Amino acid sequence: MEWSGQVFSWIYQYFDNMAFLLLAASGLILIYGMMGVINMAHGELMMIGAYVASAAFYVGAPAPVAIVAAGLVAGLVGIAMERLVIRHFYNQLLSSLVVTWGLSLILSQGVLLALGPSTMNMPTPFGSFSVGGFSFGVYRMVLFATAIGLIAGVWALFRFSSFGVAARAAMENPRMASALGVDTKRVYTATFAIGSALGGIAGALFAQTAAISPFFGQNYTPMAFITVVMGGGASAILGLVYAALYLAGVQTIASNVFNQYVGYVSIMAAAFIGLLVMPSGISDFVQKRRARRMAR
Amino acid sequence: MASSASQLSLAAVQSGYGRVKVVQNVSLEVATGEIVAVIGRNGVGKSTLMKTIIGEIAPMSGAVSFRGLDVTRLDAARRARLGVGYVPQGRDVFARMTVGENLALGRRVGGAPAANLERVFGFFPILEKRLAQPAGSMSGGEQQQLAIGRILAGRPDIILLDEPSEGVQPNIVQEIGRIIRRLRDEERLTVLIVEQNLSLIRAVADRCVIMDKGAVVGEIAPEALDDPETAARYLSI
Repeated sequence: MEWSGQVFSWIYQYFDNMAFLLLAASGLILIYGMMGVINMAHGELMMIGAYVASAAFYVGAPAPVAIVAAGLVAGLVGIAMERLVIRHFYNQLLSSLVVTWGLSLILSQGVLLALGPSTMNMPTPFGSFSVGGFSFGVYRMVLFATAIGLIAGVWALFRFSSFGVAARAAMENPRMASALGVDTKRVYTATFAIGSALGGIAGALFAQTAAISPFFGQNYTPMAFITVVMGGGASAILGLVYAALYLAGVQTIASNVFNQYVGYVSIMAAAFIGLLVMPSGISDFVQKRRARRMAR
Repeated sequence: MASSASQLSLAAVQSGYGRVKVVQNVSLEVATGEIVAVIGRNGVGKSTLMKTIIGEIAPMSGAVSFRGLDVTRLDAARRARLGVGYVPQGRDVFARMTVGENLALGRRVGGAPAANLERVFGFFPILEKRLAQPAGSMSGGEQQQLAIGRILAGRPDIILLDEPSEGVQPNIVQEIGRIIRRLRDEERLTVLIVEQNLSLIRAVADRCVIMDKGAVVGEIAPEALDDPETAARYLSI
């Protein structure tokens, strides 16, 4: 009886850790994969999403509406960021890092000035269930399912829709895409807005598990960043999934063998070792191996 | 629609890269349904001229008009949607995307509601069999057919071809020549083609515009290139 609870607990933790990485990194890796920009202000978009969701929640909106509102507002903030700043730094990885880091400081300090340092909270919905004497929150599983749903949705959008085909063309060869009538600037703005909206939605989802403050985003940016680098840019969505499977696995084992803190730090160690073996990330590594096998 | 109406008109166009002027004072009229070849040795500015016409490079001075409409200030995407179809040197198919996706991308040329795949397969049956294949895995000749088929999936009024014979086996070059003629004869498409391949020029061109050092220096009838000395002077062979 207790044994089954223990095994379930490990699986539960693995899925929970994966959900964390998938949600925190999905918008970031989309923007990196499509446009070669790492948005260090992604955590601040999550923070904005968290505030919007809790504000909507406290004026009486149901949780799904609050989450959608968070995505919309973060998407609009993303459009403004892209139009005013990011547009000038496409495919300049280092400059974009510095500039978006600056944006991140401005946004978090701005919210601190406007709303003060006090934290807000949202209740965690859905209650809990127990397996073999262990108690588990239902919401964590909902988070995982939502993460998978969001990623599948984004994948389908870029794989099948006319917008997605245009966006991939603009990524592969912007000059030729323009010569075929694709408005590449609009495609970039829209892609950035989608990535930002994913950040806002993730923020709204995490707002129901963590305290909301102006520095809310800082809990997520480092892990999201590591996941994106580990995933690599060759295939954004697959890279994200590979990286989450790998990093969450190491984290789950390390936090059970040692403790939560070691588990958290082990993500960095795992990424360090992973990047020694696969310097441009897992998706790039897999793609090259597949190409080599096909060449043979 | 008057048959002599100018489809494309360049007035004293100068353009280049940064401060380097490559195209010098080019004026050119191409009538609707005309096939004009731009010839000249390597590095005389033929490709730069093409890129200026489609809007990839903004001219330093002069004007580009398309069906009487001044498009000098419009970007490449808007010119494409007005009906300017471009097949660049090196083809530039989207290598990581499938043949079907490449064709779907041609829809915006001339603003078609959906990609006209039947028309494309009528001209290039091979593409129908390759729809799900990544474009980068095809041969040079197949990629050339895809690059031309891609704009034919839309509704171009004028097509600009930059060395379509380059790296393509001779029988496919012949086939491309036949298709260019058909497009003009059946659909009154206007064609501007940069080419070094004598037999392709002879097969399609109504007249040849000669470029040298960035400027248009003259015009000859395609038949004149049958004289080996003339051909050697204007083509890099």
